[in-house]
Amino acid sequence: MMTTATASGTALIEIKDLTVTYRSKGREVRAVEGVSLQVAARQSYGLVGESGSGKSTILRAICDLAPVTGGSIRIAGEALEDPRGTDFSRQVQMVFQDPYASLHPRHTIDRTLSEPLAIHGIKGSDQKVMQALQDVGLPTSFRFRYPHQLSGGQRQRVAIARALMLEPKILLLDEPTSALDASVQAEVLNLLNRLREERGLTFLMVSHDLAVIDHMCDRVLVMQHGRAVEELSRDDLAEAKMTTAYARSLFEASADRMLA
Amino acid sequence: MSLLEVKNLRVTFATETGPVEAVRGVSFSLGRERLGIVGESGSGKTMTGRSVLRLIRPPGRIEADAMSFDGVDLMAASEREMRALRGNRIGMVMQDPKYSLNPVMNVGEQLTEGLRRRDRIGRTEARAKAIAALEAVQIRDPERVMAAYPHELSGGMGQRVMIAMMLIPEPDLLIADEPTSALDVTVQAEVLAILDGLVRDRGMGLIFISHDLRLVGRFCDRILVMYKGKVVEELEAKNLAQAQHPYTQGLLNCLPRIGGARGPLPGLDRSGDWAKEGA
Amino acid sequence: MSSLRLWLTDPNPASRRQARLGQGYLAWLRIRRNKLAMTGLVIVGLLLLMAAFAPLLAPHDPLAQDLSRRLLPPGTPGNLLGTDDFGRDILSRIIFGSRITLYIIALVAVTAPLLGLLIGTISGYFGGWIDALLMRITDIFLAFPRLILALALVAVMGPGVENAVLAIALTAWPPYARIARAETLTVRNSDYIAAVRLQGAGAPRIIWGHIVPMCLPSVIIRVTLDMAGVILIAAGLGFLGLGVQPPLPEWGQMISSGRKFLFEQWWVATMPGLAILIVSLGFNLLGDGLRDVLDPRSTGK
Repeated sequence: MMTTATASGTALIEIKDLTVTYRSKGREVRAVEGVSLQVAARQSYGLVGESGSGKSTILRAICDLAPVTGGSIRIAGEALEDPRGTDFSRQVQMVFQDPYASLHPRHTIDRTLSEPLAIHGIKGSDQKVMQALQDVGLPTSFRFRYPHQLSGGQRQRVAIARALMLEPKILLLDEPTSALDASVQAEVLNLLNRLREERGLTFLMVSHDLAVIDHMCDRVLVMQHGRAVEELSRDDLAEAKMTTAYARSLFEASADRMLA
Repeated sequence: MSLLEVKNLRVTFATETGPVEAVRGVSFSLGRERLGIVGESGSGKTMTGRSVLRLIRPPGRIEADAMSFDGVDLMAASEREMRALRGNRIGMVMQDPKYSLNPVMNVGEQLTEGLRRRDRIGRTEARAKAIAALEAVQIRDPERVMAAYPHELSGGMGQRVMIAMMLIPEPDLLIADEPTSALDVTVQAEVLAILDGLVRDRGMGLIFISHDLRLVGRFCDRILVMYKGKVVEELEAKNLAQAQHPYTQGLLNCLPRIGGARGPLPGLDRSGDWAKEGA
Repeated sequence: MSSLRLWLTDPNPASRRQARLGQGYLAWLRIRRNKLAMTGLVIVGLLLLMAAFAPLLAPHDPLAQDLSRRLLPPGTPGNLLGTDDFGRDILSRIIFGSRITLYIIALVAVTAPLLGLLIGTISGYFGGWIDALLMRITDIFLAFPRLILALALVAVMGPGVENAVLAIALTAWPPYARIARAETLTVRNSDYIAAVRLQGAGAPRIIWGHIVPMCLPSVIIRVTLDMAGVILIAAGLGFLGLGVQPPLPEWGQMISSGRKFLFEQWWVATMPGLAILIVSLGFNLLGDGLRDVLDPRSTGK
């Protein structure tokens, strides 16, 4: 099974003993403590836990948006440079939780999507923007709309399109559907799965919803209070083969999300 | 006789581009039971809940053929009479306690303020009542919580304080608008158990507004499913799996399930007549 | 006309220009409902027209002296608002004076907010010692009363319109820097800034392209509200003889010269005073209205 494939050293994302510490006013808060994980190329890996478990902080740490105080993060076998260089942006991109906060309110969709191309001096932005809109299932007539003229689901599609403009290999997904309605969530999850298939993407996905994680991911890491509790394969999850009490309690609280 | 009777409720907002109807003819009656109102964003479920307390600000306008609570005509009641109802006989719990609690007052002051001012109860007695209310929502160390400020509470704790605050006047009806959406699943279960106990022990009526069909199906007695300001289906919660309306079925089917198939999730088909504008 | 409106309100604009004009049209619709803001806009519009067509509107040469017709009261045929101590037509001087007032306003409105925006956004975005340094400099400027500081600067540089403008601009930027910094602090940790950083954008691009547009509305509002103050300081400098030099018709300096006859010939000082009052009021009303239209917190949905 895939569960053992990652241990062979071919991991695309390799996190070892990661510790993230926030300091404010003399107090130290350990958001993540000694977490290790490995994700093979084209795999989809889930991080699940309750609020404050540090799951989103891991994604932010990869992007240099959180203060790493220990451990290492390697992408494709190479340690990340500080600050992250332009190569990093072409390898790793992120989709944020709240589509109402992740798009610049005063930029048109066109500006939002062409900005990454402009930053990296990539030509042919007109055609690429149109193509990107089509790829995420938005009509090209939306190109010059502002975010407030779009629904939540449409905004999240724009955010996904933006993340894919630089054709990264890795997509970090931070609760990409938790702010969306159920029917829209289904559409966005389907879109993400289709794009992963078509482009051979690797996902590292955070969610509090075990059902969403189960649907999207091959392997799951259960987290609590900044620490890794248990790693489960998809089959282990579906068959309730967890060994720790916390993972089990989380599973049982999601009883209404089980296949009837 | 039912506790709350609503007939043909309409909420209209006047905007630059003409009137927008948020609620378009909703009717229901509520006894001492748990009624769930489910819908996606923009379905008018929150507006329906707020209309009962007449908490819609201009340019919004409420119209109804009839809306009465325990014999009181809510459409004809003066603003003064409504104020006497709000909080006292009808309580409301909102989604995010962060925005509903006063950030510069500690919990104790907020809990006792109404008792001391409205009911003219002495300090010690009000304090005892507040502590009893906090214990009723299963807060283990009420003394500490009484002295805390809202930002010092976790989400689940804040939501319990909100519920406790609403319960002090012992209302006959509680309107809970997404009371657990901001909470983790394990905390969510605890808050639901508290609400459940209150309905059973005190014979309170509960309107539970949520976007989560499965949650409502598990927790409520009866469900109203709303879409674009209308009730598309009303059913007993235990019959949720046998829902007839394509929208309700679509909502149920589009959710991923643990151990479910990996293929694309069925989308919600909005091509039916029910989804058309003005249907 | 209606086809133009359809083009502007098209939910699917076909070009950047159409999208931007459409947003502008919506803002116009909102400001049009606000009666006070429209009053302000009309006053400012009239000021612009008056300045543009001054030679056509003014009945006399503003500099032409006629000592036989000095200190005539308002309502005299040929001199609607009377004449000053050199027999110059006050109405003509006010009309031509609007050009100088607008010139000062325009220069200050361009320079001070720009400087403030840059300092504020840089300070807020980088934080740390850059923030501390820039904000202490701002504090030093804020610690002096504006008019005194402007006086000191003009005294050093010498009197004249350009130096007056420079002095006003140098004293006017700190509030804009403060506003811009406050806005930047709320914006800089937002997801859309994180997203553009993740795309590899450098600090100048993020500040100019992503943060400044978010600060602009509150700065624009503040500018219109400050315009009244700028007019008054310019008038004050003129009044003290440190701004525009005679015989050029500047409102503040006109009041200054009319002061000598305030009790016998009140109109010499009062008429330019009224002009200052009306124009200041106009900018204030407009600023209040713009706050309702442009403030990102009040719009959105």
